[in-house]
Amino acid sequence: MKYIVAKMEEWDAVARAVAGDLKPGTVITLSGPLGAGKTTFVQALSRILGAKTNPRSPSFSLVRSYKLPATSYQLSQLIHVDAYRIDDAQDLLPLGLDELLSEPGTVMAFEWPERAEAWLRSVPDVRRITIESDPSGVRRVDVR
Amino acid sequence: MKPLRVLGIETSCDETAISILEIGRGGARRAVSVQIKVNLVSSQVPIHQKYGGVVPEVAARSHVAETVSLLSQALDLPQPLLGKEGAIRSPLTKGRYRGVFDAIAVTSGPGLATALRVGIEAGRVLAMLSGKPIVGVNHLEGHLASAWLNAENRKCWKYPMLALVVSGGHTELVLMKDACKYKIVGQTRDDAAGEAFDKTAKLMGLPYPGGPEIARLALEGDPAGFDLPRPMMNDKTLDFSFSGLKTAVRLAWEPWTRGPDTLREKAKRDLAASVQQAIVDVLVKKTIDAAKKYKVKGVLLVGGVSANTLLRDTLAAALEERLPGVAYLPSDRAYITDNAAMIAAAGWWRLSKGERHDWKKIEAKPEWNL
Repeated sequence: MKYIVAKMEEWDAVARAVAGDLKPGTVITLSGPLGAGKTTFVQALSRILGAKTNPRSPSFSLVRSYKLPATSYQLSQLIHVDAYRIDDAQDLLPLGLDELLSEPGTVMAFEWPERAEAWLRSVPDVRRITIESDPSGVRRVDVR
Repeated sequence: MKPLRVLGIETSCDETAISILEIGRGGARRAVSVQIKVNLVSSQVPIHQKYGGVVPEVAARSHVAETVSLLSQALDLPQPLLGKEGAIRSPLTKGRYRGVFDAIAVTSGPGLATALRVGIEAGRVLAMLSGKPIVGVNHLEGHLASAWLNAENRKCWKYPMLALVVSGGHTELVLMKDACKYKIVGQTRDDAAGEAFDKTAKLMGLPYPGGPEIARLALEGDPAGFDLPRPMMNDKTLDFSFSGLKTAVRLAWEPWTRGPDTLREKAKRDLAASVQQAIVDVLVKKTIDAAKKYKVKGVLLVGGVSANTLLRDTLAAALEERLPGVAYLPSDRAYITDNAAMIAAAGWWRLSKGERHDWKKIEAKPEWNL
C-alpha cells in the first residue's frame, strides 16, 4: 500500500491501516533518512493502539516500551527500538529483543532496520515501511 | 555530626565514573560542606565516535574493565580485601586510607540496562563486603545534585526550584518542590535537545558528538542566516519538540551540498548558528515560563548540553532581566557530563533523610522516571 502524507494528521490514516493487521510478534520496520518521520509514525501508531504515554525518540536509550490497554487490538505492549547507533546486529543481543518480542501481546516498531537485518531475518512476521521525503516536505510512505 | 564519606558509582551510559565525597554539616548555621576526595571519570566517547554513538555490548565490556580499574585507584587498597581465613579486613571502612567510605551510592537508572548492571554489581559486592549502607540513585537526580556541588549555589539553595535538565537523552523541566520531591512539569515529546544537536550535525556532515561542533562553527555564523522553526515555543504547555528541526535542517542544507565550496562553508557556519539559536530560544523561553508559573526561587541548569555557552549566557541574561531575584544555579563545567561526584551527592541527599536500600534487591531500572 502507498500513502501520501502532507500534514501531520495524515499519519493517523497510515497508522490505522497498519494497526489493523498487527498480531503479537509482528515487527514493523521503518526506513527513511533522518527527519523522515519514523518516530512521528510510531507516535501515531501508539495513539491508535491506545497507549497513554507519547513515545519519544529511543535513539539514546535504544529501546523504550509502552503498555497498551487490553481492549484495543488484543495487544498489550508496544516496543520501540532504534538501531540508529547500532553498527552490527550482534550489538543487539544484550538488548534481549527476542525475549521482549515473545512476551504476550507484544508488537515492535523498529527504526533503522538496515543495521540489524541479520536479526530481522530470524523474525517470522515483519512488515516494512519506507518513508521518502521530497524537497517540499511531502512524505511518500510505502507499506509492505 | 561526623562527616559522611560517600562512594559514588556511575555507569549508566558513556562514562565509567567513581567518586568519593566527604559531606558534613558544621558551624552555627549547620551549613553543608562538601569535599571531593576522589573524582575519576573514564569516557568511552572516543570508542563510540567510531560508531557515531553508544553500542551496548561495547559499552558494557568497557565498563567492566574501567570499573575495576577506577575502583582500585579510588579505594587505594593497601592490602587484599580478604584475610588468610577468608575473613574480611576493613581497609574500606576504617583508618586513614584515601579510599575509606561510610556509604555507597550507585546509579540504578535510567540508562542502558547492560551498562547500569556493571556499576550496580560493583556497588552490591562492596556493600556486602563492607556492611555499609547503599542507595540506588536516579541518574537525573544526580544531574540535579551536580549544581549543588558548587558552594555558591548551595548558599542559594531554597525550594521551590526549577531545573532544566538537558543532555543527549533528556530534556526535562523538573520542579523541585522540596528535598527529594520532584515533579516533571515539561519534557520533550520526541527528540532530546542533545539529540537535536547530534542529528542536525550529522545531516550537515559534522562528526559525533555534534553539539560542540555546532557551537564551534556557530561562533562565526549568522544566527539569523536560516529561518528555522521554534517548535511549540508559543503553545501553552511546558513541553518541547525538536524532531521537526531535523526535517527543516535537511531541507535547508540540501541545496548547499551542490554549491561551490566557499559558499558552502559560509552556509554551514550560518546553519550551525541558526540551529543553535533555535534550540536555545525554545529552551530558555520554556524555562522562564515555568519559573514564572511555579514562582521558584532558583533555576538550575544541568546536563551535557548545559556546556553550551550560548545557552548558559542566554538563560542567565533572561533570568536577570525577567525574573530578578531568582537565583541562577548552573552546574560547574567540570560536573556537567556524567560523573560519580553528582551521584554521591544525590546519594547523600537520600542517606541524610534516612533512606537505605537492600543490596540484595537493587536492580537496573532502564526506564526509571524521576
